[in-house]
Amino acid sequence: MTRPRLTFARASLYGFLALAVASWVYILAGADSGLEDLFSGRAWSNAASFLRQLLGLDAGLSGGGRPAFLDLGRWAETGKLAYKTLLMSVLAISFAGLGVLVTFLPAARNVSNGELGGRPSVGLGVLYHVLRLVFAFTRAVPELVWAMVIVFFLSPGVLPGAIALGLHNYGIVGKLSAEVVENMDPGPARALRSAGAGNLQMLAYGIIPQAMPQFLTYLLYRWEVVIRTTVVVGFVSAGGLGREFRLNLSFFQYTDVALIILWYLILVVAVDLLSALLRRMVRTG
Amino acid sequence: MIWIGTPKASGLARVLETRRLLTLVLAGALVWSLAGAGWGGGIVHTGGGNSLKGFLLALFPPEVSPGFLNLAFAASWQTIVHAVAGITLAIVVGLPLGVIASGSLGNPGRSRLAIAAGVRLLLAFMRSIHELVWAVLFVAAFGLSSLTVVLAIAIPYAGILGRIYSELLNDVPERPLDGLRSSGASPVRVLLYGRMPMALTDMLSYSFYRFECAIRAAAIMSFVGIRGLGFEIQLSLNDLRFDEVWTLLLFLFALVLLVDYGSAKVRRSLGS
Repeated sequence: MTRPRLTFARASLYGFLALAVASWVYILAGADSGLEDLFSGRAWSNAASFLRQLLGLDAGLSGGGRPAFLDLGRWAETGKLAYKTLLMSVLAISFAGLGVLVTFLPAARNVSNGELGGRPSVGLGVLYHVLRLVFAFTRAVPELVWAMVIVFFLSPGVLPGAIALGLHNYGIVGKLSAEVVENMDPGPARALRSAGAGNLQMLAYGIIPQAMPQFLTYLLYRWEVVIRTTVVVGFVSAGGLGREFRLNLSFFQYTDVALIILWYLILVVAVDLLSALLRRMVRTG
Repeated sequence: MIWIGTPKASGLARVLETRRLLTLVLAGALVWSLAGAGWGGGIVHTGGGNSLKGFLLALFPPEVSPGFLNLAFAASWQTIVHAVAGITLAIVVGLPLGVIASGSLGNPGRSRLAIAAGVRLLLAFMRSIHELVWAVLFVAAFGLSSLTVVLAIAIPYAGILGRIYSELLNDVPERPLDGLRSSGASPVRVLLYGRMPMALTDMLSYSFYRFECAIRAAAIMSFVGIRGLGFEIQLSLNDLRFDEVWTLLLFLFALVLLVDYGSAKVRRSLGS
């Protein structure tokens, strides 16, 4: 048996554990840790009354009317917002997909250095690094922060939210798609080139057919994430269910909040199922 | 995709049909979303173009006075603390749930399958609600505190980690496990000495990826009023100090890059 060496993995594991301990100590020792609240009866009775109000069992604050989720009219009203939310998520994925489609090839190292056809040049080399940096940066900034910035320039609605979601996902899908091209089997492209195919023909028959299914699969996976995030982005960009959720919460209309959570869950489950179906079509297609 | 041999004519027709349908559906979604976006007048605020220009120009240079850098470091620390606490809690909760959901413990039978299915449903519920929605609900129920925020991150992340862990534990090759079983190992031992070690690298690298996401999640928890990078970004935006916003965005960028770099190095060191 060899003595375990201090590998990088081991060292970073210890480092992470130290960081974890430090973080927990910092949080629990902080004045606003909320630890006492967690063990106080008052906080739990607050939480219980909040839950009762969500379920419409406690008419105290909701005006005594019928719970919103038992009211067909309210379902129809919020259904329009759910439609907008769905639209926003598809639009966001469309933006991300179109952006990636235009830029993922020069962001792949084996394309920029001419391994897969074309001619390497300084310009392409610079473009590669710039695109990788853009991917990394758009990915590092969360959707909500993009939305906060974008509402400074664009009027509230579906569009700014979709752009914010699109930007973040552009970075994620762009990086993944470029890596698909980098890890691609170069055989078909080389065979095409030795058979005298031009650059466009190589792209159309050697690269795109291999990369396309993966690219679509990533987009569909991200769509599942995006539908969960649209509500959050709607908090600031005012499109779809998010704004209504926030308004209802601040007006203590808790049964309306429950109705919106129901719509939210319906959307999430529907998109998950649809995405799974489409991904299967991508695989068999 | 890749066909081995020549598919039967009916099979080929079916594949072409699927592809055409898929193209139609995706193109339809694209057109529908672009048409519904509301491109009419008034997309841009009055003066929105100018403020966009101001925002982009504010990058040269961002705010780098020592006082503000101090503040940015403090905000980064807050964000890291919440992210680390959230992800550790998510791992502690997600790992056992993932093991149960994978159905690899206990004696084979209907009850085990039912428990695994129940846990899988629980995991699906936990991850179907976004961390910030959990946070908003928890703040309404318990009030604002660091622990509420950590809990809000940990719940959906435990749901995701649990699902991925259970898939990774199920995807390991069966051969070596059969070897363990035939030498009389109990299911717990098969898990500890067979499945876990084989799936460990992938589990670690996925956890690292989630840690990166947790940093972003912790940053946007500012929305419910907890301090951190997102909180400072909001304040600077309200003051129209775009140069400060850029500094904070670059700090966030650096944090994510750091985790990304660390996880790539760990993966390489484990994968060798």
